[in-house]
Amino acid sequence: MTMIRLEHINKYYGQGATRFHVLHDINLKVAAGELLAIIGESGSGKSTLINIIGFLDDDFEGNYFYNDEPIHDYTRADFAKLRNRHVGFVFQNFKLIRDISIAENVILPLLYAGVSRKQAKKTAARVLSRVGLAGYDDKLPTELSGGQQQRVSIARAIIANPDFLIADEPTGALDTKTSQEIMDLFKQLNQTQHTTIIMVTHDPRVAEQCERIVKIIDGKIVDDRKVGVD
Amino acid sequence: MKNTELLRSALQSLRANPKRSFLTTIGITIGIAAVITILALGNGVKKRISDEFNTTKNGEQSTYLYFTPSDAQSTTAGFNEADLNLIQERFGAKVKKAAISHETNNVSVSPIVGNQRLDSTKISLIKQPTKKITIMAGHNLTTSDLLNAEPVILMKESLAKKQYHTVQNAIGTSVTIGEINYRVVGVYQSQNNQYGDNKYGADLIGNARLFYSGTTATTGNGIKLTFYQGVNASQTTKKIKKYMVKKGTSAHDGTYMAYDAGAELAKVNNMITGLTAFISAIAGISLFIAGIGVMNMMYISVSERTQEIGIRLAVGASPKNVMAQFLLEAIVLTVGGGLLGFAIGWLLAGVISNFMPYHIHAVVTLNSFLLAFGVSASVGIIFGILPAKQAANKNLIEILR
Repeated sequence: MTMIRLEHINKYYGQGATRFHVLHDINLKVAAGELLAIIGESGSGKSTLINIIGFLDDDFEGNYFYNDEPIHDYTRADFAKLRNRHVGFVFQNFKLIRDISIAENVILPLLYAGVSRKQAKKTAARVLSRVGLAGYDDKLPTELSGGQQQRVSIARAIIANPDFLIADEPTGALDTKTSQEIMDLFKQLNQTQHTTIIMVTHDPRVAEQCERIVKIIDGKIVDDRKVGVD
Repeated sequence: MKNTELLRSALQSLRANPKRSFLTTIGITIGIAAVITILALGNGVKKRISDEFNTTKNGEQSTYLYFTPSDAQSTTAGFNEADLNLIQERFGAKVKKAAISHETNNVSVSPIVGNQRLDSTKISLIKQPTKKITIMAGHNLTTSDLLNAEPVILMKESLAKKQYHTVQNAIGTSVTIGEINYRVVGVYQSQNNQYGDNKYGADLIGNARLFYSGTTATTGNGIKLTFYQGVNASQTTKKIKKYMVKKGTSAHDGTYMAYDAGAELAKVNNMITGLTAFISAIAGISLFIAGIGVMNMMYISVSERTQEIGIRLAVGASPKNVMAQFLLEAIVLTVGGGLLGFAIGWLLAGVISNFMPYHIHAVVTLNSFLLAFGVSASVGIIFGILPAKQAANKNLIEILR
């Protein structure tokens, strides 16, 4: 089943003479349950693309159908709701709020969804143990290693049971061994929970572990293949 | 997001920077404290005025008119029934009641104690037995003594010792005041009466009914005027005084004086009203500057916490949620300062009222509290809304890049 359908997406930065054409006529379909890697040089437009896919960027030309809903017609407030209900983000530099505890960070999406704090904390403990951080609830982000912080960030991304995860260079700030641990966690989520995962990476070893690789050069999709099929 | 969660995260962020939060609120605290102080004192004056004026609950006011004879030895009374009738005839529309006012506390008399005439002796007069004195010898005045107008009297310990050496010796001796001969039946312990304001500190305590009997019942040197509701009591009292100077039965033997506590207090009230305007202006400036301080701090906070804002937006906070969070932080800050200012103002007014004349007490009302709360919350909203809007309208893509 097609979850995400992009048709003729164009994106520009800036205005007038200095206007920069980032994305050229992107057409892309992603089905539920896929583990997809988007690769490309820096500046190729891959982050811009996943910002659009992940409802972070509402300023683009073209059509975006999400489960056949025309997202391109939605308002800014609708986008906030979409982010809260349907997508979880994992960032390269983790993006945890530094002066609140691990559990407080993890429960944020649930709080914004209107769940009570007590209920959210229970869920957080369960999700933290799923990413291998049982008992870390009351620690501060600064007390954790990079790999552990990325696990917290994944816990936050999955706590509200989103339809899909967006991971922007999730292993970019981690060493090889930790990178592999995080990849294993993503694969496990994809296989056991059937979570759709779209990740951006420039690490070929990471990309090879996904099921499908989309390559972008200068804002154009130049390659779209299933891994191990060609 | 639930409102309690918004409040919690606001408090959390303020706690992260306690010194900065505290310093930012000082201006609000000072402004509110100044306003509450002056309001409490102003209310105190107003309450004093209304206490003085409104003798009854339905808003009737009363004043006094006194007569001072030109000849100090004169026994002529300043007012008699003819005077009261004159007043009723002329001012009946305004004056509900005009009556001879009998002084009962520390009345000056010149009694003959033993064989000796004692000038400038004070007597207090009672109509019911009192328990506010401690009897040292003999017995207290009883209800039957008072009702039957028995010629009995109580003497103060110090006077008894001075005249008769012991308190026991004083019992049964006589005291003559005017034409009545009293028998001392009890001696009571001396009480402090340095300012002449303690009824039970007088040298003698006697029966009011007996003391003001005969001609003194219908004549006296003071009258109490009770006015109908809504009458300008001060003005009418002045008119009555003028009228008495012209027509009063004793007009040629002395002078009349109006005692109008309201007029005295009105002067203080005018002063406080002037001060209120002045202090309110200063407080207004203080609150304005404090508000700008809050705004400044909120802008700094918003730019320091750009990442946090980005994260919150990314996990599903709506721009409205973010705005509410920052606005609430500003409001918590200013209301906190305002409530502290309210407490300080209350205390300060209490301290200052100790040094005020006419027994004025600071009066803090619910309205003052609501004012402090409302003003500080408004400062938070007015000066917090722009930074909060800026936080809500941040470009998510740029923050997360």
